Amino acid sequence: MRVFTVLGILFYAVVLILIGMVLIVFSLNFLQPQDITNLLVYLQFNTNSRIIVGLSGILLITISFSFAQLLLGRFQKERNIAFTTASGEVTIALSAVEDLIKRLAGVIPEIKELRPDVIATKKGIIVDIRVALKSEANIPELTGRLQEITRSKIQEILGIEEQIITKIHVVKIISHHDIDKKKREQPEKEEPTIPFGGYGRLI
Amino acid sequence: MRGEESQTDLGNIRIHKNVIASVASIAATEIQGVKRIGGDLRSGIFELIGKKSLSAIKVDIDKNDEIRLEVPLVIKYGSNIPDIANKVQENIREALEKMTNLSIKYINVNVQSIEK
Repeated sequence: MRVFTVLGILFYAVVLILIGMVLIVFSLNFLQPQDITNLLVYLQFNTNSRIIVGLSGILLITISFSFAQLLLGRFQKERNIAFTTASGEVTIALSAVEDLIKRLAGVIPEIKELRPDVIATKKGIIVDIRVALKSEANIPELTGRLQEITRSKIQEILGIEEQIITKIHVVKIISHHDIDKKKREQPEKEEPTIPFGGYGRLI
Repeated sequence: MRGEESQTDLGNIRIHKNVIASVASIAATEIQGVKRIGGDLRSGIFELIGKKSLSAIKVDIDKNDEIRLEVPLVIKYGSNIPDIANKVQENIREALEKMTNLSIKYINVNVQSIEK
């Protein structure tokens, strides 16, 4: 499948390069409209060449469709964890697991932002978390706690006994100064006013 | 065929797939811990253009008149997913068997998201 993908990409690259070259040659006046007309006339009046052109067209359409299907199929392929019960199959989208981990950020106040990426492999579930921490956080202690919470919460909620590998990547440490600055920059919310709210009120 | 058909002395009784999907939808949301029925591309498009959303529950009837259901779910945060999924499958099976006398082959539950 990978070979086919590489071939497909090469094919499109070659076609686009050829189109580009033809356009450049045309713009530099090396290719006259008459030459193009002659070529088209030759192709039109020769039966063999018409057959070849027709077959090439069909081949191009087939390659395009199969390549588009391959790419779209890959993008549409849902990533999920599956298990079977007596009544059928239960699949849990990995994005749902990511939602679950995002909610864990609320449990630990030292976490400013949390962006999880979950992958299901044969070895188990790999959770890759990118976090932005507040500056007062003790990183080894906090990341250890986050790993433990993530693992136990996933096992508790998903009810799976597979190995859960949690990788944490601290991408940013935000100081109190930055947080205060952001708060100050945010405009104060105005109280919503009700139109004609005081109408008819006796003072 | 758009649904399940059975014959009586007086004529035919047809149950549309949408009816099966509706029964399944109600039975699924009855379970505590189920936030709502999830969506698919089609129901999303219908929602975007402001039309009444069609149920995202897929109903398939095979040659042996057995029914297969695909139920997308959004689960409440804090619930045990396998437990909820099991309860949903059982409740849908019970409801459909009670209301339609249909034979259910399997009910596939797809947990799409978790919400608070």
